[in-house]
Amino acid sequence: MQAVAGVVVLASLYVLLGVGYVLVYRASRVLNLAQGDLMMVGGYALFATVTTVSASPFIAVPLALAVGAAVGVLVYALLMRPMAGHPVFAAVLVTVSLGILLRVAVVLVYTDQTRYPLPAMDLSNPPVRLPGGAAVSALDVVTVASAAALLGGLFAFLRLSRLGIRMRAAAERPLLAAQRGIDFHALFALSWALASFAGALAGVLYASNVRLDPSLGILGLKAFAVALVGGLDSLGGLVAGALIVATVEVLTIRHVNPLLSDVSPFLCLLLMLLVRPWGLWGTREELERV
Amino acid sequence: MAYGSGYFKTTYEADMALVDTRLRRLALATLIVGLAVLPRVASPFVLELVTQTALAAVGALALNMLTGLAGQISLGHAGFLCAGAFTVGILTESVKAPPLVTLPAAAVVGGLLGLVVGVPSLRLKGLYLALGTLAMHFVVLYVASEYQARWGFNTGVSVPAPTVAGVRFRSGVQWYYVLVAFAMLTTFLSVNLGRSRVGRAWMAIHDREIAAASLGIAVARYKLLAFVASSVLTALAGALWAYYRSFVSVEAFSFVVTIEFIAMIVIGGMGSTLGALLGAGFVTLLPYGIDAVVGALAPGGAAPYWLFPLKFGAFGLLMALFLVFEPLGLVGIWRRARTWVVLWPLRYAPLRTVR
Amino acid sequence: MSLLDVRGIEVVYHRAATAVQGITLDVPAGRIVALLGPNGAGKTTTLRAISGFLDADDARVTDGDVIFDGVTVTGWLPHRLVRRGLVLVPEREKIFETLTVVENLQACRRGGDLEAVFPHFPGLADRRRQLAGYLSGGERQMLALGSALLCQPRLLLVDELSLGLAPIVVRALMEAVRRLRDELGLTILLVEQNAAAALEIADHGYVIENGRIVHEGSAAALLAHDDVREFYLGGARSRAGRTYRDVKQYRRHRRWFA
Repeated sequence: MQAVAGVVVLASLYVLLGVGYVLVYRASRVLNLAQGDLMMVGGYALFATVTTVSASPFIAVPLALAVGAAVGVLVYALLMRPMAGHPVFAAVLVTVSLGILLRVAVVLVYTDQTRYPLPAMDLSNPPVRLPGGAAVSALDVVTVASAAALLGGLFAFLRLSRLGIRMRAAAERPLLAAQRGIDFHALFALSWALASFAGALAGVLYASNVRLDPSLGILGLKAFAVALVGGLDSLGGLVAGALIVATVEVLTIRHVNPLLSDVSPFLCLLLMLLVRPWGLWGTREELERV
Repeated sequence: MAYGSGYFKTTYEADMALVDTRLRRLALATLIVGLAVLPRVASPFVLELVTQTALAAVGALALNMLTGLAGQISLGHAGFLCAGAFTVGILTESVKAPPLVTLPAAAVVGGLLGLVVGVPSLRLKGLYLALGTLAMHFVVLYVASEYQARWGFNTGVSVPAPTVAGVRFRSGVQWYYVLVAFAMLTTFLSVNLGRSRVGRAWMAIHDREIAAASLGIAVARYKLLAFVASSVLTALAGALWAYYRSFVSVEAFSFVVTIEFIAMIVIGGMGSTLGALLGAGFVTLLPYGIDAVVGALAPGGAAPYWLFPLKFGAFGLLMALFLVFEPLGLVGIWRRARTWVVLWPLRYAPLRTVR
Repeated sequence: MSLLDVRGIEVVYHRAATAVQGITLDVPAGRIVALLGPNGAGKTTTLRAISGFLDADDARVTDGDVIFDGVTVTGWLPHRLVRRGLVLVPEREKIFETLTVVENLQACRRGGDLEAVFPHFPGLADRRRQLAGYLSGGERQMLALGSALLCQPRLLLVDELSLGLAPIVVRALMEAVRRLRDELGLTILLVEQNAAAALEIADHGYVIENGRIVHEGSAAALLAHDDVREFYLGGARSRAGRTYRDVKQYRRHRRWFA
């Protein structure tokens, strides 16, 4: 039972991070390798607001999330929009540079000392007893709930709302969307804002639940493997991929070797790439036309 | 390719020659003589810089063959370096093998690994391929770290200086000659490959794979060849690195190293041999340049804690700037400058691709 | 009174290659104007210059102006032009393949009543919930026209409507376009390689070759013109006065450059 609870919590964290990858990939076919660093920025935004603005979680958390979303918009406007005509590989490298810059900026301001925002907010993280004898922390429960809420909200938004349809249209064919009067740059910026918001949410929760330090970005790489296993343009696949990878990882920690667990998302990825490269629920890459 | 008027080729040999004009032959001769004589006049620090640049150049050229020419995006470069270095480390430590055994072994290991990484390239393209190579990178590093934890010292494996034909390679000057020669050979290989059938096949595959296949190019074979050639060279570079540094550790082969090499070919200019060389020089010398600037502005005292992040950040910033504003890299700047000089006072150059 | 007034535009690709030069067109309101010409003549380039799509290919309008309803719109971004009522139905990539038919229609910014589109394009109504990627060629064109209609255009630019379609489908599509003019009073600029189909419904036509307008006239005049008939409509030159030399050295007789 404890294992199941562990899997669900880990999968929720992966979903929160993975949402960012899926949204950005669907919008602009770009792999945002800085997603993990956006998560880190979200955590540090929380720390910054707690230490400078207000220690009340009701103010600090929304503010940190807003900062996260704003960072996403800025990233799009300053970095990704100019890369619009360039090959995708170059755009991905730009995200790598972005990750480096974010990490450096954070280290310059906060050094690489580990921080703990939770006590600063006067909150504690008590354990919660689950049926079956398992125990998780209160923030673990919040993580799972947030992931579920975010997924549900995004699903509804993209499938049902007019803006969501336009976002999907702009993601598929930006030029045609422009011809139909859709300002796709605004919609792409919105995708990035949502992706960054999700990452910031993950960062806020992780920083409060575990710890905050500049190396948080590594989790982003693991979530990346998860997003790929599920299919990079499918939110549903993301859930499936997260559950599968989390299961493998938790089982590896418990029964095989804790060090191997860090590599296990990539092993899953390798397997998926060999068998079904587009992931569980992703769309097959288009045929090249001669 | 000669530009400007006044140079006419009258024989096939002249047309296919690698160095065609008299000016170029003179420049090349001067370069070779200069490199040969450098140890007499330069300080050990400068020699060290050139040596490091030469080693980086080999890695950059290998990556350029794979990613720039053949268009196969690889994020596992550090993994190949690590494989070559650890082969040397493991063989030297466990069976005390001499360099004449370890170097070929490193090449073989690198080639095999390249083959393994290259096989997914037959099914995957673009970003998916990059991710496969990234996953491979992590697996290789994990295996290496397991070895290091069990049999090496905690921080790494030490490698004694190699002895070849009775000569012990220990001094900076010796390594300078070895590595610069290695770099020059690799440059020569790279330029010739680019002009050969193999190079043309790679470029065709890069541009439009289906069209290449319909022209009769054995796409699978050439793709695997690109991976193997690149990985063999990189593994050799890693092996030499192990001997040069006398120490091998997993921490030295993190993902950041891969990014550095990719930055080298991106900043230098993808698909171009000259670009790989320029990029290797630029990225290797950048941290020292920043050190020099900071040292000049704030002389004396210990390095402040923000110096390392600053260097790292400058590297990331420069890469982003090049990607956004100068996608053709340093080679693009060089060619624009050259065209401007040649065409002046006319303005527009004819259309041409990077290569 | 002309809705679209193209005055002497010149488009240059990559700062090196002039694609079209001195293009002057006039599209009166409520009429169908055809732009005819062979492959590579510059028809699509002209349309893209009018509708603001050149940046993606490093192309620029280096001379001349495009005036839409009295306002100079040269170089405007596409979605601004759509808001003014200038809508393009492109040659390729004209529908969103991963969206359903209904979602395709909903994607247009202006909105409007979806149901009003279906009577104009029979056959689409049955396929509402189907993914647009699975539609046949003719249905795709109808969907493209329909979603363009929902942008509430005043001027519709249609690029190669008949490309790759069977003659009977082409006839149905041209009928649909004609009905758009007759029932909705829409102004349409039709770029076509299939000159016969286009001239059947057009009021006026221009012929473009090698980047320049070489001939223009009413549709009836074009249909009767000898050169147009020979080069675009498959008619044969008159047999009177042909010598052995004419037959042996057939040269394209450029009467319009005389």
